Amino acid sequence: MTGEVRDGVGSAPLAGSSNGLLRRAGRAVPALPGLAVLLFLFLAPMLIMFLFSFWRTNPDFKVVPDWNIDNYLRFFTEGTYLRTFFKTLVMGSIVTVAALSISLPFAYFLVRYTGQRTQRIVLLAVIVPFWTSYLLRVYAWQAILGENGALNQFFMGIGLIDKPSMFFVYDDPGVFVVLTYVYFPFAVLALYSALEKFDFTLLTAAQDLGARPDQAFRYILLPQIRAGVITACIFVFIPILGEFLTPTLVGGAQSSLIANLIVNYLRQAQFPEGAALAIIIAGFVTVVMVIFRKSFRVEDVVTRG
Amino acid sequence: MPVGRFARQTRWGLIALTGAVLAFLYLPIAFLILFSFEEASTPGLPITGLTFHWYQVLLADSSIQRAVGTSILVALIVTVIATIVGTMVAFPLVRGGLPSPGSLRLGFTMPIMIPGVLLGIGLLIFFRQVLKVQLGLQTVVAGHLVFTIPFVVLIVSARLQGFDRRLEWAAADLGADSIRTLRYIVLPLIAPAILAGALMCVTLSIDEFVITFFTIGPQQTLPLYIYTQIKFGVTPEVNAMATVLLVVTLGLLLLGTGLMALRSRMKARRRKAEEA
Repeated sequence: MTGEVRDGVGSAPLAGSSNGLLRRAGRAVPALPGLAVLLFLFLAPMLIMFLFSFWRTNPDFKVVPDWNIDNYLRFFTEGTYLRTFFKTLVMGSIVTVAALSISLPFAYFLVRYTGQRTQRIVLLAVIVPFWTSYLLRVYAWQAILGENGALNQFFMGIGLIDKPSMFFVYDDPGVFVVLTYVYFPFAVLALYSALEKFDFTLLTAAQDLGARPDQAFRYILLPQIRAGVITACIFVFIPILGEFLTPTLVGGAQSSLIANLIVNYLRQAQFPEGAALAIIIAGFVTVVMVIFRKSFRVEDVVTRG
Repeated sequence: MPVGRFARQTRWGLIALTGAVLAFLYLPIAFLILFSFEEASTPGLPITGLTFHWYQVLLADSSIQRAVGTSILVALIVTVIATIVGTMVAFPLVRGGLPSPGSLRLGFTMPIMIPGVLLGIGLLIFFRQVLKVQLGLQTVVAGHLVFTIPFVVLIVSARLQGFDRRLEWAAADLGADSIRTLRYIVLPLIAPAILAGALMCVTLSIDEFVITFFTIGPQQTLPLYIYTQIKFGVTPEVNAMATVLLVVTLGLLLLGTGLMALRSRMKARRRKAEEA
């Protein structure tokens, strides 16, 4: 309280004058380098990519400012693009569902049944794999899912199958497993932050008043951790829209996601064509972010990593 | 509080789930380490024999050492710039002085959330087709700054938000000018957040593959090296390197937390001594 009073006294007489404006501008100065980076290295490239997406690549691989919307039309008319985009959305959705179904009980158990010390250690255990290379974590799965991988050896060992199954090898199920593996820790962090603030006596109260456990979960717990659930979903779903490495490393020819198509364009120096696809995804991401910005708590995940 | 049968069952179920989740997290890493000792030159089951051979190969491999050097160099430059610039943004963002801080916060969240491929392609087009600059380590540093600065901004902002400004006014009342207040009151109190931001920058920059992939010239960073190894013929050398990396980062992590704990213990002891 005292703070606000003092602040008011300090700035009120100057508020409207040019002096006040100057002071206000002066306070913004430290932010300038950061804003410059945001403007010149993020917004400008995105804007230029947007302009490029309406241009064309010559047969001799020169980009020419020949305005057209063919690059976008192609997305909607050529089956491959829509199909791959749709497939990416489906893959993103099932990975998100899988990540949530692992993370929610996990975080719930952690917050409700363990002490501070255990919580800290387990959370650290969840974060530590992030400190190892992303590529190596994906690569490690080749040893498990591969034709002679641990999974097949295990199933053959217990006599479930008699020759290596190709189910997880270089195909979508493998991509699904690895994507879940890579992104579910984000969901754990987001849900943990939300559950940590939840007052569990509310659940007991609800049950005392006659609610079944599932009703208490549905009507008491879930609404309270809604922001955490949304944050978790965004942190798992959005990166999958840009995933091209996992499909390349553990997937097969059929496992391409939408970002693989972008990378393919760039390999052939078809910048405008790739840019159009990238803009479609960027637009999608921006819309999601704007819709959920009130519930999205990036700090909950970021400040714990 | 009496625990019902249902609650007890749930509890055991949850314990089993936690164990399974941790196993899921660490099983691939365990295999990664195991195969670094594999005798045969293709990592895989069954293990034919155990050897330290690949660690010796690693020690003698100069291209990998160059890649590590490049990665560390980039990470250091990125971390120093991003930590300073990001911290400077956090102050006016939290304390007023910037128009529409809400949208700015969203603006600084976007580079973190937007998939790296999009940022990478945007930067590639920007550097190559518009600015016509040579791709090299300087473009890699620029690319890394785009997503590391926002992390520092968010982490330091979170700490500043909970900052008790009366401490600063007390310092001012006692005659400290704003620079002294910053140096002796504010910075020490937000130092953990700045340090956390810097650590985040190091790990993010060292591990960044996608943006580096699009913005680099003829040089090679560690993730790029790993990528070529994985794509074109893996030997257990990659596993050996992964193991070394894991041990080094874990060691640094333990050292860091150990030092923190030691420092707070010494502080507590000093306080006790002063009280007595």
